[in-house]
Amino acid sequence: MRYRSQSVAYWYFAVAMVLFGLQVVFGLLSAVKYLGPDPLLYILPFDVTKVIHTNLLIVWVLTGFMGATYWLVPEESRTELHSVKLAYVQLILWTLMGVTAVIGYLFRYGTGNKLLEQPLPHKLVIVACMLIFLYNIGMTIRKAGRFTTTEGVLVLGLLSSAVLYLPALLHYENYTVSIFYRWWTIHLWVEGVWMMIMGSFLAYLLIRLSGVDREVMEKWLYVIVGLVFIAGILGTAHHYYWVGVPTYWLPIGGFFSALEPLALVGMAIYAYTAIRRAGLSHPNTLALHWTIGSAVFALFGAGLLGLAHTWPSVNRWTHGTLITAMHGHSAFYGAYAMIVLAMITYAMPSITRTRNDVSSTLGFWAFWLQVGGMFGMTLSFATAGIGQVYLERIVGLGYLDTQLKIQVHFLMLILTASIFSVGVGLFIFDFFRRAPRAEVLPETEAESVRAGGAAPPEPAGQAAR
Amino acid sequence: MNQRQARLFAIACTGIAALAFLGLTVDSHRQFPELTNADAITPEVSAGQDVWHKYNCVNCHTLFGEGAYYAPDLTKIADLRGEPYLQAYMRDPAQFYDEQRHRRLMPNQNLSEEEITNLIRFLQWVADVDTQGWPPRPILVATGFAPPSREAVAADQPGVEQVELRPVTPESDPRAIGENLFRSVTPACNACHSLTEGMDMAGPTLAGIRTRAEAIVGSDDYDGDADDAEGYIRESITDPSAHIVPGQMYSANDMSFMPNTYADSLSEEQIDQLAAFLASYE
Ligand code: HEM
Ligand code: HEM
Ligand SMILES: [Fe+2]
Repeated sequence: MRYRSQSVAYWYFAVAMVLFGLQVVFGLLSAVKYLGPDPLLYILPFDVTKVIHTNLLIVWVLTGFMGATYWLVPEESRTELHSVKLAYVQLILWTLMGVTAVIGYLFRYGTGNKLLEQPLPHKLVIVACMLIFLYNIGMTIRKAGRFTTTEGVLVLGLLSSAVLYLPALLHYENYTVSIFYRWWTIHLWVEGVWMMIMGSFLAYLLIRLSGVDREVMEKWLYVIVGLVFIAGILGTAHHYYWVGVPTYWLPIGGFFSALEPLALVGMAIYAYTAIRRAGLSHPNTLALHWTIGSAVFALFGAGLLGLAHTWPSVNRWTHGTLITAMHGHSAFYGAYAMIVLAMITYAMPSITRTRNDVSSTLGFWAFWLQVGGMFGMTLSFATAGIGQVYLERIVGLGYLDTQLKIQVHFLMLILTASIFSVGVGLFIFDFFRRAPRAEVLPETEAESVRAGGAAPPEPAGQAAR
Repeated sequence: MNQRQARLFAIACTGIAALAFLGLTVDSHRQFPELTNADAITPEVSAGQDVWHKYNCVNCHTLFGEGAYYAPDLTKIADLRGEPYLQAYMRDPAQFYDEQRHRRLMPNQNLSEEEITNLIRFLQWVADVDTQGWPPRPILVATGFAPPSREAVAADQPGVEQVELRPVTPESDPRAIGENLFRSVTPACNACHSLTEGMDMAGPTLAGIRTRAEAIVGSDDYDGDADDAEGYIRESITDPSAHIVPGQMYSANDMSFMPNTYADSLSEEQIDQLAAFLASYE
């Protein structure tokens, strides 16, 4: 850590870790209900555990994005944050919003609109937090007068995320129209602007970890962004096929969403060539695992398994089955959970009191148990989903009868999810067993070269002249 | 390619795609009213949509295939089951499904009668939206299993369900009792009839039987005694040959192949219950 204000990232990461742990607990609870019968039917029914599971996911991933941004921007712009106090105010507001939303869901206080269940007051607080955040980041960059491409793509991604949340604030009389705009938020987030965020974190990490040339990385970052949007924007239509829209969305959605994996292939190649060119000299090998892991798992979960059901003639049969859950888990985990965990692991030696032992055995156990567990969960959802599609959609067996026939896959799901949860638990333990660190560390010469600047590292506090 | 060109590529891709997307969005808005029967969105439908949201239905069920995967898709439910059935179901789901048998049960939502009516109006509106032919075949809630083969029963094979029935009491909803009878009378109705559209077995499928029965009763070549759908179903049970469903595998010489023993083996009340159950399949 070169700048004192970067230490706010620690507290964002800490909140994210707590919420991640809770998310997994509610996921397990939901999965057990698949097996049934449910003793909590009138206390904590499936709809409640599921809405908490998915909302915690969104909140912790966004908390991670914010923390990682507060970590990255001072370094890229070579300055202290504009206002540390504002960053803490934002975190407190944000956390209160998240916690009260979850408590509300326990009492079914929510909009009942998938993934956008936050009640209006909470949505307004979300917007307020985003504004504070963007203002703080914007001012930091302005004051520094230094602005890298990596940072620019990141900030543009965050800004667009805030803008794309706005349609979710409106009310629509027509259910079809409300679905149409729900995807402007959800799809254009995960397959559009969040990819910019992921891409820039990836670029940052690869530049730091492998020491590869910044010029080259940032050029390819632009290319990846171009690929994301040429496919992803019109690819939104892969959610439109069956919801009451004109027929032309079928071929358009099929064609452009089938191009979406290109950007993910791009990111994987990006990671691979960076490592090949520059080697693995960085001591934080664990962060390198998370970084490469994220690029590879995202290619698998989002690229391959997204492609698997995106064509209309396939989606016609798989739409709204456990096949969707298979893809949703592996994609979200690979692309967004893992990239946040990579940023945390990279920053850990600086923001906590551990300089060199971050790549501990415990850390690797956390990595492999999570990756293995999530791979198993993906297979469980996949086998359950294939069974469901065949029996329910093709043969015509009733929904409930079909679910009984695929119980064995739910057992498999719970088993692999337990393995995954142990990995999550270890990661969280590994994080919290270190005390936060406030003092600034001198950067080694190698690190400053990787930071990409010719200028010598400036002492903290003086960057914002 | 240098950085500038790469940046230009990114901006051009985004701009072109966004422009095309916005254009198509405008055109979609032009077509939404027709595709979704927007003028059928009455205040009742809107109120029903609020009920749908308020009770968080979408976090167990799917609608248009979107939602959660814990409970069946409801896009076409108002096409498949009639309003009286849906009303009775919403008042108390446990009347119709058994948690021990299916290991899942919908918790009673304690809706008011008004909420139930509005919700059904909303679901009826949903069922009429043009979904480009989705789902490709009806998604049913429960069909029950065809009875196991004699060989499987004789071998006492594990994994072959001895048809487990949802227990009913005389106080249960008549349709629920009818469903139980459908699978338990001798010989069981479901040995020959499925409730799955297009799945004809020894007898024709009974999916959508209410609508078909109404058409038959109203047509000229019907010469039985019934004058409504339930009456037609009752008649088919007690006097299978009163009206012959076309098909070589169903009858010969104007005699239906369906057993004609039910008139004696079932009580009047049981036949009513069976008819009430089957008439809920629209
Ligand atoms: C990191 C990127 C991605 C993430 C996080 C992600 C996540 C998700 C999630 C959570 C859903 C379920 C949404 C809902 O029903 O509300 C979904 C649906 C879907 N995704 Fe993705 N996805 C990603 C990339 C992709 C890509 C690249 C493709 C195609 C090549 C794709 C194809 C689909 C399709 C077709 C559906 C609809 C499934 C259905 O019909 O039920 N996804 N995705
Ligand atoms: C112990 C681990 C987990 C278990 C047992 C679990 C289980 C579940 C279950 C049962 C559902 C509901 C599916 C339905 O609607 O029927 C669900 C939804 C979801 N979970 Fe998880 N989950 C776990 C971890 C995660 C993680 C780590 C992520 C992402 C990083 C995640 C992302 C999601 C998403 C995006 C959905 C919504 C999917 C959709 O609607 O298509 N889950 N999860
Ligand atoms: Fe999508």
